[in-house]
Amino acid sequence: MAEPDSTAAEGIAGSTFPGPYPVGVYAAQLKRRLLDFARVQIVGEVWGLRHSHARVYFELRDSRGALPCSMWLSDFEALGVMLTDGVRVVVGGGCDYYPGSAASSPSFTFAVSELRIAGEGDLLVQLERLRRQLHAEGLFDPQKRLARPLLPRTIGVVTGERGKARDDVLAGLRRRGWEGRLVWAFAPVQDRHAAPRIAAALRELAALQEVEVVIVARGGGSLADLFAFCDEGLCRTVALLRVPVISSVGHHTDRTLIDDVAAVACSTPTHAAEAAVRIDCRAARADLTASARRLEVHGRRTILARARTLAQLSRAPAAHVARHRRHLHQLVRELRASARRGVSAGQELAGVHMLVLGRKASVAALERERNATVLQARAAALRRVSDATSGKRARDLERLRLALAARDPERTLERGYALVQDAAGEPLTSAADARDARDLAIRFHDGFVPARVSDPEAES
Amino acid sequence: VSERSYETAIARVEEIIRRLDSGEAGLRETLELVKEGRELVEYCATELEAVGRGLEELRLDELVARLEAGVREER
Repeated sequence: MAEPDSTAAEGIAGSTFPGPYPVGVYAAQLKRRLLDFARVQIVGEVWGLRHSHARVYFELRDSRGALPCSMWLSDFEALGVMLTDGVRVVVGGGCDYYPGSAASSPSFTFAVSELRIAGEGDLLVQLERLRRQLHAEGLFDPQKRLARPLLPRTIGVVTGERGKARDDVLAGLRRRGWEGRLVWAFAPVQDRHAAPRIAAALRELAALQEVEVVIVARGGGSLADLFAFCDEGLCRTVALLRVPVISSVGHHTDRTLIDDVAAVACSTPTHAAEAAVRIDCRAARADLTASARRLEVHGRRTILARARTLAQLSRAPAAHVARHRRHLHQLVRELRASARRGVSAGQELAGVHMLVLGRKASVAALERERNATVLQARAAALRRVSDATSGKRARDLERLRLALAARDPERTLERGYALVQDAAGEPLTSAADARDARDLAIRFHDGFVPARVSDPEAES
Repeated sequence: VSERSYETAIARVEEIIRRLDSGEAGLRETLELVKEGRELVEYCATELEAVGRGLEELRLDELVARLEAGVREER
């Protein structure tokens, strides 16, 4: 160490330590000493990875300690590795110390000159490569394009038989009020046999026509534990399955490959169950009841409203027809009376003539023939008058018959109106009458439909 | 109709009710909509009933065995 600076402050009274030395001198000494430390390889997990314009900074951590590390950006980029937090790496290098200055902070760092990804880090690299490959093949999409039922009747679940995930799925379904059919396909969820067994379970579930959606659930674990769910074969199976798969593997921080290929990835098995049944069944029942009520109200209200309108409409033609019918009946009566009068008057007259003729016959035999002729002529004239009257009346009758037919209520009914009648067949022309009658017959052009006023007070 | 799902049925029921509420539907349309709505509500009720009779839990291997036995019986 250099001699203490004579311009520096005096030392601490009573201290046995040498100095005081200027900090820059001490820092430079420290740097030299640290550089003498042996250069070694160190293994740990990467944390807090960040870049500056020239260097990459991160910490290496394990359960017993941590070390700040840095690496020249150019060296790091030359390695061509993808680093993320949590990746286990082996680094080679040695201690270094930046002594700082009046304007900058000092820092200690393990200067990394070599680096390789190790252990699970190797898995992550593989995983990342596989993820890119499956994505490039378009295998992330097919599941997302499948229609997911809002309310499945049957749900398949692939999970460990004794895992907590099983209870979580049941809890999620309970929360939805769903009590359909659940098909459990139990499979190992973490050893090296797991992936093919899970894939087989999925294929078997999908082969059952009734299974509409499948949940794959597993609780949290280390990446190695969850690696079964990153298996290429399993992921390809899921991607091409006919039923939508809802995955819930590990915790929300973990992302396995099955999460990428599945239709939906959920953070917990409970959420997965809720994603499988997307509605609250209890609320849906209440909503449906309300919908049914609204339909009934509309149906009833429309029929009543239309019945009122029809009653009003039907009153008009009915009154018109009745008036014409009365008029027609009157005409027919007059016609008949008139025809009777015409004939009987003719007969009376003929009788008188016959009497006179008879009396005069003995007196004036010569006149008999003439008188008979006169009589015949008169009778013929009388017949003509009678016939002409009848013909005119008949024509009037036909004209009125046609007018009546044009206003026939049957025609009106054929046009889509209906007539409401009571049990005795009397037309009802007001809602009040209909309510009083209770039992109704709705007359369409092609027949009757019995009806009953369900609640006569409802629309009053 | 073969592709009918709870989702489409419920959506149609809501559409029908909106149309009826609008008051724009004539007599014939109203009656037809009410009829269609009733059928859909019935379908939805059946679907809801199917998931409301108590949870039925089956093991895949049991179910497969049962189905295979059924197939053998049919033969």
